[in-house]
Parts: sequence; C-alpha cells; structure tokens
Amino acid sequence: MLSQKVAQQSLRRLAVQQPYAMRWSLMTAASPVAVVIGRNIQTRYAATSTNTTEPTKLLAEQRLRRPVSPHLTIYRPQITWYGSAVHRITGLMLSGPLYLWATAYLASPLLGWHLESASMAAAFGALPLLAKVGLKGFFAWPFTYHCLNGLRHLMWDLGRGITNKQVIQTGWTVVGASAAAALFLALL
Amino acid sequence: MASLMRRPCLSALRTPLATRNVAGVTQVVAFHASARRQILPPEPQTIQGTMNDPAPIPTPHPSHGSYHWTFERLVCVGLVPVTIAPFAAGTLNPVMDAVLCSLLVLHSHVGFQASIIDYFPSRRVPKTASFLNWLLRGLTLTTAIGLYEFETNDVGVTEAIKRIWKA
Amino acid sequence: MASLRTTSRLIASSRPLFRPASLARSYATVESGAQEPAPKVKKFQVYRWNPDTPSEKPKMQTYELDLNKTGPMMLDALIRIKNEIDPTLTFRRSCREGICGSCAMNIDGVNTLACLCRIPTDTTKESRIYPLPHTYVVKDLVPDLTQFYKQYKSIKPYLQRETKSEDGLEYRQSPADRKKLDGLYECILCACCSTSCPSYWWNSEEYLGPAILLQSYRWLADSRDEKTAERKHALDNSMSVYRCHTILNCTRTCPKGLNPARAIAEIKKMMAAH
Repeated sequence: MLSQKVAQQSLRRLAVQQPYAMRWSLMTAASPVAVVIGRNIQTRYAATSTNTTEPTKLLAEQRLRRPVSPHLTIYRPQITWYGSAVHRITGLMLSGPLYLWATAYLASPLLGWHLESASMAAAFGALPLLAKVGLKGFFAWPFTYHCLNGLRHLMWDLGRGITNKQVIQTGWTVVGASAAAALFLALL
Repeated sequence: MASLMRRPCLSALRTPLATRNVAGVTQVVAFHASARRQILPPEPQTIQGTMNDPAPIPTPHPSHGSYHWTFERLVCVGLVPVTIAPFAAGTLNPVMDAVLCSLLVLHSHVGFQASIIDYFPSRRVPKTASFLNWLLRGLTLTTAIGLYEFETNDVGVTEAIKRIWKA
Repeated sequence: MASLRTTSRLIASSRPLFRPASLARSYATVESGAQEPAPKVKKFQVYRWNPDTPSEKPKMQTYELDLNKTGPMMLDALIRIKNEIDPTLTFRRSCREGICGSCAMNIDGVNTLACLCRIPTDTTKESRIYPLPHTYVVKDLVPDLTQFYKQYKSIKPYLQRETKSEDGLEYRQSPADRKKLDGLYECILCACCSTSCPSYWWNSEEYLGPAILLQSYRWLADSRDEKTAERKHALDNSMSVYRCHTILNCTRTCPKGLNPARAIAEIKKMMAAH
C-alpha cells in the first residue's frame, strides 16, 4: 500500500507541475477512484483458481478436458503425406485381394468354388471390354504406383534423395509414370 | 504494485482502439473438424509421472526393431528383380515364381503388421490389436499354403496373371 | 518500490510515455504516412478454445485487419489482433525472429513459426490459423508440449563420456567430425516437424517423432560421445524409431530448413549396421 500511496502522491505532484502531461496520464493510468471501488481487479475463472492444495491434481483434471487440435482435416495436401498415404492404400489394395484370393483358393475344394487359373481366365474373358479395362486398371495402377514409389523408399533408406526439391520432383514423377504405365497395362 | 499501475494503463489504451476498429468486428463460426467420424478418436490427455520425468522408453527388442527393419528392407530389395523379370522374360520358371510368392507374402505380412501397429496400437486397444495380429498370422499362413497349392497344382502366379490379363 | 521507480521515470521522461493513446501502438502496427492508401483488409480465421468453458466446442473466430497498418509477418497480425481487437486471444511468442520456437503453429495448413511466416498479400483469401496439429490444446493457439519435452529428456540430450581428454582440458573434435553436426545443432525444438508427422499424430505416446529423433542423431553423430551403443540399443524397438515411414512432412515443414527425415534415415542405417 505504501507504493500505491507514493504513486498517488507523485501523480498529484505531476498535476501541479505539468498539467498537460497529467491529462494524458489520467487517460492511461488507473484513477484513484477506480482503485478504490475495485474496478481494476480482474476476474479469474475456475481454471486458474487459487486452490493450491493439490496443484498436480488440478492440472491432471484440466488435461482431461482439453480438446485435440485438428490434424488430417486441416493439414495442407502435399505430395509428401498424400503420396505416403496412397502408398499404404495401394499396398493394401494389392495385398488384401492376394490374401483373400489365396485363402479362398485353399478353401475352394471345401466350398466348391472354382478359382483355378483356367476358370478365372474364362470368367474374366467373358466380361465386356469396358469392365475388363476397368478391372485391369483397378489392379494395374496400385501395382505400378506401389512399385515405383517403393523404389523411392529404397533410395531414401540409403539416405539419398531426401531434400524437399528432390522429394517433390520424384513424387510427381512417380504419379505421372505410374499413371502412364497403368494405362498401358490396362489397355494391354 | 507496479502491475497494479500497469494493468489499467493497458486497458485504457486498448479501449479507444478497440472501439475505433470497426472493421475488426469479430465473427464466430462453429468449428467441426473434431467430428465423430474420426478413425481413432484421441484419448483424453494423461501424462505419466511429473513433467520432469523422461518419457518411458519401450523395452529394446531388436527382433521388432533393427533386425525387423533390415529384414523387411532386404525383402523389398529382393522383390525388385523378381517384379521386373516377368515383364522382361514373359513368365517365370517355378523356382523364381516360388521366390516371388514367398517374398510377396513376407512383404504383405510386414505391411499389414505395420498398419495394425500404426492404427490399432496395443497400448490403446490391446484386445483389438492382439485379435488383429492373430488374424493376420492366420491369414498369412493360409495365404502361404494357398499359394503353395496353387504353385504345385496350377500354372504359377505369373503365368496365371498373364493368362487372365490376355483373356 | 517498483511503482515508485515507474512514476519517477514518468516524470523524468514524460515525452514518449505521454503520447496520446491512439499513437501509442505496439511494434506490430505500422504507422501510415500522411496519405492513407486504400485499406487492404484481410480476414484471419483463428482457432479458439477457452479452458474456462471446457464444455464449449472449439470454434473458428474471424478477425479483419488492414494489411497496410500491419507488419509483414503472421505474428505481427496476431499481436495486432490481441492488442487492438481481442485481448483474450492467447498464443505463445517471444523472440519474433525464429530462434525461440514459441510461436510454432499451423498457418494456412502447414506448421511454421508465425514470426517467420509472411502474411499472404492476397486479401481475397482468408488465412486460417490453428494450433499445432493433433496436440492437446491448453488455450486457443497454445498446445501442451509436455510429452514432447519428456521425450526429449528420454534420449539423454547431453554429452555422455567416461574418458578424460588427453590434455585434460577440452574434448577436441576434427573439423570433419564437427561438420557432421551441422544441420542438427540448429534445431530449436519448436515441434513443427513432429506435429506435422501423421505417424506422430497416431502414436505420440511411444514414437519419438522427427524433432526428438533429429536430436537423438545429433548425439549419435557426435564423435565425442561415448555411449553410442547404449543410445542405439535404447532406440531398438518397434516404436521409438520405426514408426517413421518416411512420410517426409517433417522436412517439408521445418521452418529452419533442417532435414529431420535424413537424420532418421541415418539412424536407421546406423541401427542396421550394428
């Protein structure tokens, strides 16, 4: 309180000595009235309560309420992580059918299915042309993309080609080359 | 006490500017990136130990760590020639075909395994993780046997794909 | 006592402090000349969440600023919003020159330091500002980085050495060995790269993430450190390093132009060779 009193005194002195300066200081500083009626006191809510008995517990409780900031939905689409996601998805698109087909082939004698190459080729041959090309493309593009991007991964694991410029260049090269190769394979 | 002086100072300074800046009128929209369609909704935040303790390090396990990674990379390197070969040579002989099939199974297994660890970590969903891992092991086994059957009883994978493609 | 000093200083040098309030702006505000050019109003959408009302969902709040009166950087815009429009907006900042790493946040979809990020001058597009992705939000743009720092501690980021140097003075290093640390020691641990990594999003409890792995490699690569084998052994599990799938968002986003992905690739090579 002593320092507050000193502050008021010096303000009073200021008003006498430099009236112009006092006008501005009254605008910017708290008036003594405001101090007295408590208008300068800030209100704080529960999150910063003065209960210090269990500070770690309070923090742990606050942590439980925190939201997680948005991630997938707001991060800018870039060849780096989109390419990587596509790499994983194409891998699953190739390995998944392989697993399903091989397991079904193993079980086919029990189920009475015909999954041997001759009957599958015959079934595929009976499809209309558009379906053939579509189905070929459906497997060809994941295959070409996953293979070409896999080479990129092998290169990175040797510690090469990991600069922003190279990553962007090779990334788009793989997208273009895999699309072209897949188109070629689909029309074969 | 100095802060007692300063705080009203600041607010007094701010008020005329805040009212003056009519263009800066704030507008609030609801934010809905944290919707329920998340794949793995994050858990509420908990911190192990105090903030001065180091984060616990998982137990070292080279067969899950460096050996695993090196092995998987070698499989990938091995896959490169056997993937190119059918395009160059037409079809593969039974031995090469078998090599291709076994490498494909290993590569697929590791790929599925990585996906399970990434999206269904055993620390969060222990039951789902172990179920998926056992399911994967089972399917890998049936796939391997199925491919073996196919290789021995049928024309081989590369030749089969070629015939279907040309059909 | 503090107030006594303050007031006496006010009297002694009254000029700069007694400027009219409208002139006493912060450094984030640029004073315009006599002729006011046409205002370039840009919209800023900022992520808001208040821990005092935890049941309320996070929301995006729009602020408008005249770019002619704002400094060139995103941090200037944020400081100006806080000073002149909405004092409740909360964010971290300190050095304003890209060396403290406090103002790391997600601006227009990429993680960067607000102080190093220019405000796009295209006023037709609004800028979106979020906290670092997939972090627990303390308030508004302030993420909780406790786990990040705890992970940093777990890799023992200090020189570990038993033997004394030959002359008993300092641990010397050849210029070639010192050069290996270039591109590693500059990291300021702003967490931009770690929080840009999808692998770190899903597994931040156990995966160390690019920033910590870059630091880890900084000590693995140090010729003076004698615990290389122990350091490598500690990382030898499926989670610490091998959740890295070379997605490369880290290198793409680093505001200091470093290459965490290459450091991780080097770690993997070292681990494979042992």
